Amino acid sequence: MGKSTQPALLQGTLDLLILHALGRGPMHGYAIAQAIHVSSDEVLKVEEGSLYPALWRLELDGAITSKTGLSENKRKARFYQLTRRGRKLVAEQEAIWNRLSAAVTRALAR
Amino acid sequence: MRFFRKLLRRRTPQDMQAELAFHREMAALHDSPIPLGNATAIAERGYDLWSFGFLESFWRDLVYAARGLRRSPMLVAAAIASLGLGIGVNAAMFSLGIEFLFSQPSVRDPGSLVGVRIAGNSHAEPRVVEFVRASGLFAEVAGENEEAVANFNDGVETRPVFAVLTTKNYFTMMGIPMLYGRGILPDDPDDVAVLNYGFWRRQFHGDPSVVGRAIDLDGRARTVVGILPEHHRTPIGFGFSPDIFQPRYLPSTILAIYARLRPGMTLSAARAGLLTVERRMDAEMPGPYKYSQGGRVSPVGGYGHLREERMLALGAFFVLLLAVTGLVLLIACVNVAGLLLARASSRRREIAIRLALGAGRARLLQQLLADSLLLAILGAAAGLGLAQFTATMLARVRLPLPLPLRLQVAPDWRLAAYAAVLTTFTMLACGLLPAWQSLKQSLAPDLHRETRTRLRSVLVAVQIATSVLVLTTGFVFLRNLVHSNAISPGFDVRHTLRAAVNMPSTSSDAARAAYIQQTLDALAALPGIQTAAAARIVPFNGATRFLVDLSFTNGERAQAFFYWNAVTPEFFRVMDIPLREGRTFLPSDRGQKVVVVNPAFVRRYLGSREPLATSFVWGDSKTPYRIVGVAEGTKTMTIGEEPQPQLYEPLWQIKNDRQAIEFVMRSAIPPALELEPVRRTLHRQDPMAGAQVETVYGSIGLAFLPSQAGAALMGSTGLLGLVLAMVGLYGVMAYSVARRSREIGVRIAIGARRGDIARMVLRSALRVTLSGTAAGLLVAAIVTRPLAMFLAPGIKPADPLNFAAVAAVMLATCLAASFGPVWRATRIDPIAILRDE
Repeated sequence: MGKSTQPALLQGTLDLLILHALGRGPMHGYAIAQAIHVSSDEVLKVEEGSLYPALWRLELDGAITSKTGLSENKRKARFYQLTRRGRKLVAEQEAIWNRLSAAVTRALAR
Repeated sequence: MRFFRKLLRRRTPQDMQAELAFHREMAALHDSPIPLGNATAIAERGYDLWSFGFLESFWRDLVYAARGLRRSPMLVAAAIASLGLGIGVNAAMFSLGIEFLFSQPSVRDPGSLVGVRIAGNSHAEPRVVEFVRASGLFAEVAGENEEAVANFNDGVETRPVFAVLTTKNYFTMMGIPMLYGRGILPDDPDDVAVLNYGFWRRQFHGDPSVVGRAIDLDGRARTVVGILPEHHRTPIGFGFSPDIFQPRYLPSTILAIYARLRPGMTLSAARAGLLTVERRMDAEMPGPYKYSQGGRVSPVGGYGHLREERMLALGAFFVLLLAVTGLVLLIACVNVAGLLLARASSRRREIAIRLALGAGRARLLQQLLADSLLLAILGAAAGLGLAQFTATMLARVRLPLPLPLRLQVAPDWRLAAYAAVLTTFTMLACGLLPAWQSLKQSLAPDLHRETRTRLRSVLVAVQIATSVLVLTTGFVFLRNLVHSNAISPGFDVRHTLRAAVNMPSTSSDAARAAYIQQTLDALAALPGIQTAAAARIVPFNGATRFLVDLSFTNGERAQAFFYWNAVTPEFFRVMDIPLREGRTFLPSDRGQKVVVVNPAFVRRYLGSREPLATSFVWGDSKTPYRIVGVAEGTKTMTIGEEPQPQLYEPLWQIKNDRQAIEFVMRSAIPPALELEPVRRTLHRQDPMAGAQVETVYGSIGLAFLPSQAGAALMGSTGLLGLVLAMVGLYGVMAYSVARRSREIGVRIAIGARRGDIARMVLRSALRVTLSGTAAGLLVAAIVTRPLAMFLAPGIKPADPLNFAAVAAVMLATCLAASFGPVWRATRIDPIAILRDE
């Protein structure tokens, strides 16, 4: 897994990806990582060392809440869920990202 | 928001680790690669987010430091004693300075209250006050005379109390808050009074029902209308706390003027306006002085009054005092730093292990500083307690001064802020060096010992240098005290007594003159009393200064500014003031106007005239005054002052309109023995007259107050510094002997004699002492120069004698401090030491 084949996540995009993934409903950390991995056609891979600190920070900011529940294989796990504040945040961040990526694409096209 | 989420819903590191474990389990299950990161580190970093970061870790450090310090109670006790004294003396001086410099009078809107002086006089005649009030320049004008004494009769005995006489609008104009009742109102009758808190507590045991009752003042019933609160501060400041306020009842009482500026009126506008009013006064109401000269409008409250000259000098003194006490705190801190440095050796292993395990240096420094912060906080608590205790004790006693002063030092936010600054300074001064040293050396464990002892020696040298500086300052003030005690005030203070008598206000002028003559006869008849005289003023207990135009017989004029007194002829003999030329007053002078002046008056105002052949007209009076004698000058207000012009009139020549009169007596036996007989005689003469009898030496205490206060404050601070430095030197010597005991044992075993050992240990003590003293003297020689502004003329701060004395004291102290360690070094038993190996 060389650096060149694995695109690094842009600063701030991890939060957006997590919040977006949680838009489908409550999930635990591993499921979030899988969801990002799969939905990005296996391009993006989120390491636990960055995923969990990001989750804990978002929870502290009030964008998500967590509670313990049972996983699909009947194990105790912590499930994360978007709050109202988080929904607002994901909409804002998506708009910003769209503007930014469109601008970068345009700039690179010329 | 974040803050509350942290508070309400805590996540634990265990919980976070469990989450990571679940993640790995799932990864294994799904055949994804198992992450290789350090789960513990991730969880800890995550937890840092949810914790209160610095605060929380610092709290943990403090708890840890407290646990560690509990194991060395001796160190804690020594540190608290050192720092408590150091911080205590700082806090006490700071509150004293704050009280003297920044305390506000207890009035409404102190910023717009001003004091007004006309013709350079502190007090003005009532018609002048009325003129200023009627001019409408100020919103309101009030006056008071604070030098008044009234005879208070509590039903058993009569004694003088300090009663401020006020105009009736005084309380309403000032807007003085009351504890009970009300202030004096403009339409009150004359027979009302307001009691000050202290007097009310002493005399009426704090009974509020005294409001509305009558008390006996000067033989007249006065109704108490109100009680002032405990912390009432008069516009005079300096802790002046009289017993009673009452409306002035004599039309002639001179008054100090206070005025309220009109809204938006600036000081300079008030000054310009006052000048116009004064010019009108000169034109419409000619008096003994030129009103339009020497007028002044000065702020009473607010911070404006700090710009006044005497306040500047006082401020400079307190800044100096704080600098010196700051140095004492530094000495105390160095003591504690030395202790912590010694303790650091025992924590060497702990720190080395923590560094090896990857603890950050900043994090370790924070933890090491927690030690000294804890000590600093404990020291500050002890110091503030000490300062508060001293202040309470001081406030409880009536200071032995001729004026009723009571200091009201109460802790406030300024003291709290200052204490916080002191604590921070203490923490850094005590802890930074030892902490840094521990970190630097714990990875090279075997190299550190030598430098650590050397570092402690350097610290002690710095300490000695600092205490040399503090001592020099104290010593300079001490010499100033000795010097000013030796300066003669110009009259005999050893064989004289003084009685300040307040005649009942009901008496007529003639009755007063008769009373004075009878009393003089009765006093002179006492066994042991050689002569007695009466005077308006006894020097140092008050002064009256006149600024008048003198016109000589040949038409020449001079403007004279002099201290005035009115005395009976024997005054000069009683006080032992030699007459340089001419004579004292004679009964045959009655009917004409005569004066005695002093050489400074002759020099300054008479030019080349022969004094005894000179007459002058004073102000607008018609009769010429003839000079009949020239008496040597006396000091009038302070002991350090330059000779000032003085003028005496015979007592019979002036209007006899005052109740207060002073008697002075010359005694053949020690004057203290005459106090009781004089008191009894005065009581027999008029039981209604309150009298205060004391030796003249006792009564001029106020004159020596600045030099005594300076010497007491600086001297005790210097002594404290010396003791702390002595403890420091003892500590370092004891430590070094204990550490070198093996080496010393070996030396003794191979033939060194006790004397050699003693010399060796003493030599190292002397090396530290001498280098510290030399450095201290060098600095002192430069920085003590500006002290000259506080000293009597003739006292130089940079006098070699000061330095020699300080060096001698320092040396003696160091020898005393090293006696114990040296003795212990010579008693080391080589056999026991070698057997220990």
